[in-house]
Amino acid sequence: MAANLQHPFQCLQFVERPNANFLIGSAGSKLYSYSAETGQQLAIWPQAVESSNGAEAQLEQGPPEKKRKVEDTQTAEPSGPTSETPEKSQASPAWSNIPILTTTANGEYVVALTAEDKCIRVFQFQEDGSFTQLSERTMPKRPSAITITSDDNTILCGDKFGDVYSLPLIPGDKPHVATRVPRGAKLSQPAATNLTVHTKGNLKALEQQQKLSNEAKAEEKPGLAFEHNLLLGHVSLLTDIAYVSLPDASSTKKRNYILTADRDEHIRVSRGLTQAHIVENYCLGHTSFISQLCVPQWAPEYLVSGGGDKHLLVWKWAEGRILQKVPLVDQASETAEVAVHGIWATSLGGQRAILVALHGSPRLQCFTLEADGTLTSQAPIQLSGNALGLTSIEKDNTILVSVDCIREPGTTHEWRASPSSPSALIEAFRVKSDTGLEWEQTAASVLEKIHSTGTSEVPLTTTEKERKELNDSLYNLGHLRKKKGEDE
Amino acid sequence: MPDLPSHPSNPTNSTPTSSSSTNTPATMTPPPPKRQKRDEYRKHAAEAASAKPDGETTAIAHVKLPKKKFYRQRAHANPFSDHQLNYPVTPAHMDWASHFPAFVNPDPAQTNLIGTRKLLKDVEVVDIGCGFGGLLVGLAGLLPETLMVGMEIRVSVLDYLTTRIQALRTQQQQKAQSQSQSQPASSTSTPAPTTDADADADTPSEAAPAIPDPTANTALVPGGYQNITAIRSNTMKFFPNFFKKQQLSKIFICFPDPHFKARKHKARIISETLNAEYAYALRPGGLLYTITDVEEYHHWILRHFRDESTVEDEANGAGTVKELFERVSEEELEKDDCVKVMMEATEEGKKVTRNKGNKYVAVFRRKQDPEWA
Repeated sequence: MAANLQHPFQCLQFVERPNANFLIGSAGSKLYSYSAETGQQLAIWPQAVESSNGAEAQLEQGPPEKKRKVEDTQTAEPSGPTSETPEKSQASPAWSNIPILTTTANGEYVVALTAEDKCIRVFQFQEDGSFTQLSERTMPKRPSAITITSDDNTILCGDKFGDVYSLPLIPGDKPHVATRVPRGAKLSQPAATNLTVHTKGNLKALEQQQKLSNEAKAEEKPGLAFEHNLLLGHVSLLTDIAYVSLPDASSTKKRNYILTADRDEHIRVSRGLTQAHIVENYCLGHTSFISQLCVPQWAPEYLVSGGGDKHLLVWKWAEGRILQKVPLVDQASETAEVAVHGIWATSLGGQRAILVALHGSPRLQCFTLEADGTLTSQAPIQLSGNALGLTSIEKDNTILVSVDCIREPGTTHEWRASPSSPSALIEAFRVKSDTGLEWEQTAASVLEKIHSTGTSEVPLTTTEKERKELNDSLYNLGHLRKKKGEDE
Repeated sequence: MPDLPSHPSNPTNSTPTSSSSTNTPATMTPPPPKRQKRDEYRKHAAEAASAKPDGETTAIAHVKLPKKKFYRQRAHANPFSDHQLNYPVTPAHMDWASHFPAFVNPDPAQTNLIGTRKLLKDVEVVDIGCGFGGLLVGLAGLLPETLMVGMEIRVSVLDYLTTRIQALRTQQQQKAQSQSQSQPASSTSTPAPTTDADADADTPSEAAPAIPDPTANTALVPGGYQNITAIRSNTMKFFPNFFKKQQLSKIFICFPDPHFKARKHKARIISETLNAEYAYALRPGGLLYTITDVEEYHHWILRHFRDESTVEDEANGAGTVKELFERVSEEELEKDDCVKVMMEATEEGKKVTRNKGNKYVAVFRRKQDPEWA
């Protein structure tokens, strides 16, 4: 057992509830919850098969029509084939990882995206720390960014094809009627006629289509069976989305905005939910893909964005104005390509910090954001593994960073030969004083407890192919970079 | 004339600026003679078109317009793939000066963010998917003081149009020169192209505002084609890189690729999500012109711009992009010369006429943004 590696936490979130505080995280194909006070593991989702028939039934309902094989990665999980009963292998979920995990502001609901089945799942987060799944909604295209509006009522979901949908957090009871009229009737007749411009070949094809259309019935793709609205679209892969409220200068009402970023260097500023078709402006200035948007809650007029560029940009986003270009790597050195993995804003002990992790880097870069929007570099934090997720416990002046305990620090593909001991899934750092952003590592007993129970194991015997799939599920920003290739 | 000669869609690597390199494939096989011939033709055409009108006007008396048959390319391009495109980081980074030398701000201190000269005015009219440029050439004389740009994703077609515009400009300069030489008062010095064009632009338009026939080398066209240009771009992705908020007064979308299959409808240039981007670049009161020969696409356009609501659509499309547009009435369109040009001067329009097909026109006016909800 000790020889095996453990799935790191891909996402990590501190949840503050009136009666107790929790830590939730996604590792491998599962969700975990812990007591924030003791580190006691409270629940795992999906549960083992014996205790929950419901979960299994749901899983089987899910449409596993995705072409990608996920079985391979599943075998990499818990136990060897000898101890695996047939029921258990059936219960292994249709996804290999949970790349997005977020909660409502009140901590009552958890929204998670399971990767391969493109399914947005909403859970009620119970007082005892367990997850009760309320809904699962399979999106037409792979979601790449999810956020919840500030009133906790609506999920905004951006996808691989650049579309942004709004979904009610809690779907209504009424079965949803697709608003689009099925166009089957119209389409059974080809839209082209012999009066439209054609080449000879096209004309022939058209004749054939017209012959066929009398016999064949057009296949109707069933629409989504739940309420959803298309808010806006980029013709590009959508990478991040932010929902921001700004006080309106002319009235007491707040103005809501949706900020969306894509692979083609655009940040679009649209109006909020009901008027998302009105583009207020664009924040243009990046020269490579954008992967992260960060609008601090305590300074919503500023935006820090990063991606494939070797710098961050700080924006006064409502004006589309760049305030600052902040280098991420030593400009003099010819460093390899960088990609921003995460940007987090936190306010600890009077310090307003922006924390930045690069893809596959064990160094957490620290900045302070001044009132005028200036980003000032501070001493970085060195971690024992690549930074994956981050959450802050502001009342304790502490941040928790989930680190990659599988790969060697500084690389996205080289695996450790043996588990680091003690196996570190999460590291905690506290701001020392309120005079500057100085950190001290806290080895709280909470973390020890979390580490002692661990997550699911990844055997060291995992094959190259399976390793690559696991790597890609955590480190996939490289695909966003444009290849300088052939053109037509 | 038969329909499009069915060319094998051999991708061409030549860009408008690369002068001579016949890009040999990596396999070291010599390029097929057809392509070689084509590349040579294009090179010569580009050189001839940009010939400066110096003293020897007689020697290059007739700059010929390029022939389309050397620039054919498959009629479709995938708008979702990464082409090797050049596009400015922001509209303020766009080098328009090289496209409109006649409209460069005379003050050399006036430069944009990449250090190129600013223009005296902004580009105001865009033809999305301009193809071989019939619309631009038709509009050039109609709106001589308005800067217009055509955007096209296909390299070869853009090559053709760039050469064509250059040739048209040179022809006009030569004509203006020969006319001025025949007048006794005119100076004999060789005018620089820019000043020459300025003079052109200032001459009162004695030519009728009727659609000029680009093949007829006769009349002087107001503006001397200095006000039109073409750019290679994927407008579905990069429209906001070229134009700032409310910069445009007219957008033309003429005979868009119909993408007949339902599966391909997401590649259509008109959709509610893209219409939001057109609304961003179009100033209130600005017009968006569409024309197609496909009836189903016409209804698609109406559906996505407000006019025709689907059965269960909310009233008047409130809460969607439809609230930003209103359809322009038929009576108004009859008075609009741009509609005439769109019907008759575009290459596709002519083809449809030859084919005795139908043309469906719809024009939409950009309304003011509604109040914040």
